[in-house]
Amino acid sequence: MNQKTKTLRPVVQNKKVKLTSSDKVFNYLVNTFMVLTFLIIFIPVWSTITLSFRPNDYIGTNLEGMFLPFWRWSTDAYKALLGNNGFISAFLNSIKILIGGVASSLFLTIPLAYCLSIKTLPGRKFLNYTIVIPYVFNVGIIPVYLLIVAVGLVNKLPSVYLPGAISTYNCIIMRQFFEGIPGELKESAKIDGCSEIQILFKIILPLSKAIVMTIGLYYAVTFWNDFFNAMLYLNDSYLQPLPILLRNILMASGMNEYVEVNAFGNAPISAIKAASVFLSAIPMLMAYPFIQKYFTKGTLLGSVKG
Amino acid sequence: MKKLLTILCLVLISTSFVFAQGGNEKTTVAQKSNEPVTIDLWYGAAVTEAGPVPSDWVGYQIIKDKLNIDLKLTALPSNDADQDVKIQAAGAANNLPDLFMVSRKVLTNLVKQGLVANVDSYYAQMPNRTAIQYDADSMKQSTINGHSYGFASPGSIAKNEGLLIRKDWLDKLGLAVPTTADEFFAVCKAFTTQDPDGNGKNDTYGFGGYVEVDATLRGYPGSRFFPIMGAFGVDGLWSFDSATAGLNIYKPEFYDFMVYLKKMCDEGVIDPNWLSYKKDDFRAAWKQGKFGIMKEQNAAFAASSNYAPFDKNFPEGSWVICDPFKGPNGDASIGAFDMNFRIYAVSTTADKAGKGDAIARLLEWMSSEEGYFLLGWGVEGVNFVKDTNGIPVAGDLGDKAFTGSIGQTVTQLRNMVFYNGDTELASRYPTYITATSGKEMSALKVLREMQSKTWTNNVGAGTMPTANADVKRFYEQSLAEFLTGKTALTQANWAKFITEFNNVGGKTWNDQGVAYMKENNLI
Repeated sequence: MNQKTKTLRPVVQNKKVKLTSSDKVFNYLVNTFMVLTFLIIFIPVWSTITLSFRPNDYIGTNLEGMFLPFWRWSTDAYKALLGNNGFISAFLNSIKILIGGVASSLFLTIPLAYCLSIKTLPGRKFLNYTIVIPYVFNVGIIPVYLLIVAVGLVNKLPSVYLPGAISTYNCIIMRQFFEGIPGELKESAKIDGCSEIQILFKIILPLSKAIVMTIGLYYAVTFWNDFFNAMLYLNDSYLQPLPILLRNILMASGMNEYVEVNAFGNAPISAIKAASVFLSAIPMLMAYPFIQKYFTKGTLLGSVKG
Repeated sequence: MKKLLTILCLVLISTSFVFAQGGNEKTTVAQKSNEPVTIDLWYGAAVTEAGPVPSDWVGYQIIKDKLNIDLKLTALPSNDADQDVKIQAAGAANNLPDLFMVSRKVLTNLVKQGLVANVDSYYAQMPNRTAIQYDADSMKQSTINGHSYGFASPGSIAKNEGLLIRKDWLDKLGLAVPTTADEFFAVCKAFTTQDPDGNGKNDTYGFGGYVEVDATLRGYPGSRFFPIMGAFGVDGLWSFDSATAGLNIYKPEFYDFMVYLKKMCDEGVIDPNWLSYKKDDFRAAWKQGKFGIMKEQNAAFAASSNYAPFDKNFPEGSWVICDPFKGPNGDASIGAFDMNFRIYAVSTTADKAGKGDAIARLLEWMSSEEGYFLLGWGVEGVNFVKDTNGIPVAGDLGDKAFTGSIGQTVTQLRNMVFYNGDTELASRYPTYITATSGKEMSALKVLREMQSKTWTNNVGAGTMPTANADVKRFYEQSLAEFLTGKTALTQANWAKFITEFNNVGGKTWNDQGVAYMKENNLI
């Protein structure tokens, strides 16, 4: 019997799909939510930017100031900050801490995460516990301070990033990613005579660009913004990074009893504060677009097993 | 990836060489008597954001040559809380510097741990400094269990704020300076509704302020409202009067004050942004002509750089300092005041290492004429010149003047030598002519006038026990809710608030405070 069989052909969509009313409502709600989210993020950023360009003779509310025409903007605050030796020095110190911190953190975190991902590692479970337990039960400031003093790192830049060089959270994410790499790749490399270190550098890391970039970005943001370690361990003012200077600027104008002098010339204090916040955020803003493609992929990688 | 890893390794190796700098190892007294004694000094900077003392500061060499001291300076963070954390962490690691600025609260803890030296014997070694800086009130600040554990130098100037009112607005509306609470309210109402600036817009308010509170003196809503609170006899967090000793919130007059302030809020005669303003916002607001009555600090009002924006915006505008207005019971006060001090302590380690003599020599030299001018103003001819009265002034020295961006860095230690003497005040507050309106202004004259008004003596408030975070939050939040109308301000609700305040720990706090007042003869 010659039965006609129905062959399935792909349906080619050559005309617009008609949306139902519930689809339209859903799209409308999603669009509204996204617009609101955008405004919630954009308005404070725009307020800070316009505040940083506020002229000294401006009269009006902060809301009106957000709509000040460009030709009335003043760069006095930026000139004052960029012309201040302390700001440039603090910026350079922050760059040094950023580079040293990210380099040392990745250098330490990657091997640790890889080792913990090897299922045949003797004492693996015990090692995992020794890493997770201190993460859960934080020892506080004093033991770390005693350690920093004992190893002679007080008043040295590495004291800012070495205590936090390995983040347990980041290490666990990276370990999960390494566990997800097929074991067959490592086995075939072993058969070819590779050592574990060679496997790490030649097989694992080339496949791990996303996670390395992502974790690198996490560390970078942490070290760029770190204020507390710098305040605690750095005594020499010439070593102090941008967050310390920023905090001094933001706090001191409210505490400075010598209100008759302005350390930054004629720019309004509020503009100085906004400009310093914006300038300190610029490096992260510039770096993020380059890392974004890895970041979006990398944040989810550690969460999916198998 | 191999290239990236190679670069990473190279950077890591290089950081260990390049970035390992600084070094602040503790030193002991020189083995040989002719080697300089190293003194590690953690100081509170005068203008933190201006930058640290430069490494080529001439003071280092002078101190080395004259006193045989190798001085190492570290600026403490500008914020009190950060200072406390840094000092306490160093103390816990037994790594305190030789001489350091410390708050009384932290000093008390350090004394208990034996980390701070008894300095009773130091005063005799610095007679000049002791005579200038350390009076009976100062000694009290640093005395714990009958011994002195630090040197308490005079802090910021006391009674340096005043009640100011727009004279041009009063004249335009044909009003007089208010002398009673009713008149004050009427003037506020007129400033709000009768367009005192004549711009045709309804954009002015009577009174402006912001919430400026602390843990011991400035109770909510804060010191900007002290003249109003003073009219009801409840300015300041604590009452040191023997008949009503304790927290002012327990006085029935506090409720009357709340009713009065609530009325100001409800009638819209107070700038509604007072709840959200920060100090800078408040100062920008009066320079923009937002309100006509305020409490402001003398230099923040009258110093050249601060008055200039107001002068430019309102050349015809003027302010007058007025007496505090009287409340229903005849009370009047600009506000409660305390004397604050900066305490410098010597670590036990430094004392045992035999650095006490060197520290005393250093402090005595700082209060000598050479040290006073060098630390206070810098080098004559470079950072300051003297006027005909011998007062240091900036002259034409530009950025290198002690008021300029470079000069401010060399005078960061001025708080260690200043004692609010006449020379300092005359130098800080010179008379000048305003750029736009040509008025003669003097922050010093303003200060003297403000200090002559009626104030409430709360000296010692700074050492009173503080409330825990929950009590403080409950106190401030509840008062804010009354003033904003979230909770109706009625006698019943007020009584309920007091009961709940007692339950959360307010009564305990009050009792601790009264006991402390009695123990320390503050009542």
